[in-house]
Amino acid sequence: MSKEKQPSIDPVVIVTLGILLVAIAVAMIAFPSDSNSINIAADSGLISQIIVAFFTGLTTGGLSCLAVQGGLLASSLARQIEQDYVEQTAQNKKKQKASIRTNSALPIALFLLSKLVAYTLLGALLGWLGSYLTFSPMTRALLAIGIFMVGNALRMFNVHPIFRYFSIEPPKFITRYIRKTAKGTDTATPLFLGFLTVFIPCGVTQAMMATALGTGSMAMGAVLMFAFTLGTSPVFFIVAYLTTELGAKLEKFFMRFVAVLVLILGFVTLDSGLNLMGSPLSLQNLTRNWFPSQAEANPVADSAQGEIILNVQNGGYFPATLKVPAGQDFTLNLVTDQTYSCARDFVIPALNFYKLLPDTGTVQVTIPAQKAGSTIFFTCSMGMYTGQIVFE
Amino acid sequence: MLRKTFKIPDMTCTNCAMKIESLEDDLDGVQEINASYHKLEMVIEYDEATLNEEQIIAAVRKKGYTAIPA
Repeated sequence: MSKEKQPSIDPVVIVTLGILLVAIAVAMIAFPSDSNSINIAADSGLISQIIVAFFTGLTTGGLSCLAVQGGLLASSLARQIEQDYVEQTAQNKKKQKASIRTNSALPIALFLLSKLVAYTLLGALLGWLGSYLTFSPMTRALLAIGIFMVGNALRMFNVHPIFRYFSIEPPKFITRYIRKTAKGTDTATPLFLGFLTVFIPCGVTQAMMATALGTGSMAMGAVLMFAFTLGTSPVFFIVAYLTTELGAKLEKFFMRFVAVLVLILGFVTLDSGLNLMGSPLSLQNLTRNWFPSQAEANPVADSAQGEIILNVQNGGYFPATLKVPAGQDFTLNLVTDQTYSCARDFVIPALNFYKLLPDTGTVQVTIPAQKAGSTIFFTCSMGMYTGQIVFE
Repeated sequence: MLRKTFKIPDMTCTNCAMKIESLEDDLDGVQEINASYHKLEMVIEYDEATLNEEQIIAAVRKKGYTAIPA
């Protein structure tokens, strides 16, 4: 009897390799060798977010969600394989072997496919919701997301019981419904179950969902969640055939690693929120002032004429520090030249100024007179690229 | 029916609570289980004629957790 069940491992390896190949292909698309290609891939900020999402899924996301999602899938599969076995014992033994192989691989593939579709749609929905947040609410949302992520990381570190409340408990009726569904043995069960996992996201998935909301873009939210869920797939696939106990052990083992990752993501998000507030306390603004030699004003800037040039490039703003005379208005010329990154989404929080710049061209902004010694910070709309105007 | 509370100190996430609640399906005599990661505890309602405290603790241990009567 055990001899009959053994071959069911083979398709796992095959399909896992398949998913890994797809994952590698996606990573290769995300890391094009020609970094100058003029498309969305030129946006290094967005691409790095996708890469982080993918590898978060590959390394930690899958493991941290295994406890229930993997367990549900495994129990569903066990019933299906058992049923297949009973149904086919009357048939030819050689045929039976091949048939069991096919049937055992299919539910996992269906589950993962369904999960991928569900989370991509969820990402699109979150991104769409985020797009309705105007500039100020988006700043607040980013700060809240950052706090949520840091809180979740501290929860994983078990710093204090209060941080457990950063983890959202799904309602009892949902978890009960999902559990009952897992008992089904038909083909639709894993498909449906995969879709239902959106209701029981783990801590890392919740953090990624928050990031998708923060993108403020339907497409970007979808891509982010797709990359993350695709990353989780290989681990899920392997563990679907292992015991749930192993999943729990792995989860505990990796919990600290996951916590560190979420903590870093949380601080990055908080920092973006601070940049969007125009706060001097953000990491970039603090370090820029600590190491002023790296941020000398570009000699191209001609402040004597009441005009100054800021080059808006794919990699950020150059020069990052503009020095201008205090007490007089001046014109800031924002120059773009095949700029496709989020640096185009130019924000000066203190002046409540926001503009999406053309990919190539010049946009003039009048900066009102400021007191000597004051500083105005500018940033991209995602709070990633920053710079400052120093009034002397 | 008896209603008892157990502390489960080694829960690490909300999904652990769901795993423990799945004992509703696995353990004869259980009426209802409400597990909470926030409180690190489970409240179980069961038929004392079918099930006892030791069996509950053993079943929870089998799921990978430690149940301590509160």
